[in-house]
Amino acid sequence: MKSFARAALAAALLATAGCATQVTRVSPDQAYDLSGKWNDVDSRQVADAIIRQSFEGAAGPSWSVSYMQAHAGRRPTVIVGSIRNRSMEHIPVETFVRDLERAYLASGQVQVVASADERDEVRAERLDQQENASADTRARLGKERGASYMLQGDISSIVDREGGRRVVYYQVDMTLVDLETNAKTWTGQHRIKKFIEQPRVRLF
Amino acid sequence: MMKKTQAAAAAAALALAAACAPRMQPVRPIQANGAMVPSTADATVAAARDEAHAERARIAAEQERTMDAALAACTPSTCNAVARGELSVGMTREQVLAATRTGEVAWEARGGGAVTTLTPRDEGRAPADAVAEVAYVTLQNGRVASYAYREPQGLRLVSSAAEATPAAQARARAEALRREGDDFALAGDFQRALDRYDRADVIAPGDPETTLRIARALDKQLRPYEAAIRYRLFLHQLEIEKIRAYGEVYAGMAAAAAEARSRILVLERSGR
Repeated sequence: MKSFARAALAAALLATAGCATQVTRVSPDQAYDLSGKWNDVDSRQVADAIIRQSFEGAAGPSWSVSYMQAHAGRRPTVIVGSIRNRSMEHIPVETFVRDLERAYLASGQVQVVASADERDEVRAERLDQQENASADTRARLGKERGASYMLQGDISSIVDREGGRRVVYYQVDMTLVDLETNAKTWTGQHRIKKFIEQPRVRLF
Repeated sequence: MMKKTQAAAAAAALALAAACAPRMQPVRPIQANGAMVPSTADATVAAARDEAHAERARIAAEQERTMDAALAACTPSTCNAVARGELSVGMTREQVLAATRTGEVAWEARGGGAVTTLTPRDEGRAPADAVAEVAYVTLQNGRVASYAYREPQGLRLVSSAAEATPAAQARARAEALRREGDDFALAGDFQRALDRYDRADVIAPGDPETTLRIARALDKQLRPYEAAIRYRLFLHQLEIEKIRAYGEVYAGMAAAAAEARSRILVLERSGR
């Protein structure tokens, strides 16, 4: 009887050990697709494609270089507007938008100003400084830089499903709109298509 | 026996389901799951940074050359205009580039021989001077004969130094607003016409032509008291205009009288 109890205990221990959480750190460059839903790989690929397209001109220099040529070397200023998610999935757009902002700033071709959501906090701090900071260190009012262009975009998806198979198509469109004239100065697009096959029966 | 029949039925159902499924070519993956896919953004950004650096250096060198050429031989008034960043009649092509802080790449030259027209190469990013966005510049024998600004009410042509002053700019804008108001009045929309006339009156106040239009628009809108006030103001402004006109005539005559007096003196002395 005792030996039976010991064997049961050992089996339980083994089972518990087998179910323990395993964590393996991997490179952010490694592309893993588990569920087929939008993931970090998609976000990064969209960012890469949009950044590349943004600094490419269809015929001649890119929009930012053209702006510099027409404005005595001054860089265009961009504000990030709304990036609408029209798909059925939850897609955090901030990841690739931040990548794009970072690319603009690092390139030295484009200036980026705080978006409508971000500037409220900055304005509150500036107002606070008017009362509480010393005169020589306080940030002055009315010195904000106005943007020349607004970056807008949307993500759409089309899903085709049959049985355990699914084809998901994502299309990300980004547009740069001239704030004075409403003219669309640049458009970028990236498309992703995934074929997802899920087993009908799962053991676990 | 029953079991065999059931198994056969199930197999047939499965075969039928498989036959009804859409047929497709084998899926060709473009990226293996778990593959290393390094981001290309950093390389793109580095290339863009180099391009921006080179472009800015090129623009700065070009501007320096243009500015040197523009300021090498300019009259004091043209030099001042270049320094202020304003176009003026009589400028050379280099001075136009210097005043608008642009390079040759921003402009497209049309025509040839004696008359050349410079138009912005990219309408969406047209060059501008300190006053407004420039629509075109006409050069005659290498000098600016006229230029046009793109303003909210349309193009404003400048072909003389007098037309480039802020007062002339206001007059031109008021004139454009009056024209716009006239179009609305013609269409029977007196409210919008009145709005344009009011704006013209703000830009160039005291102009009897604007006051008369405001009076008429108010009259047509059946606002008699306001219309009467405007009509009276119009007549008052006309009186002022008359006095001003007489004053100018008398000023001209005073110069002529002074000239006659000096001539009489010269003639009398030479006759002695």
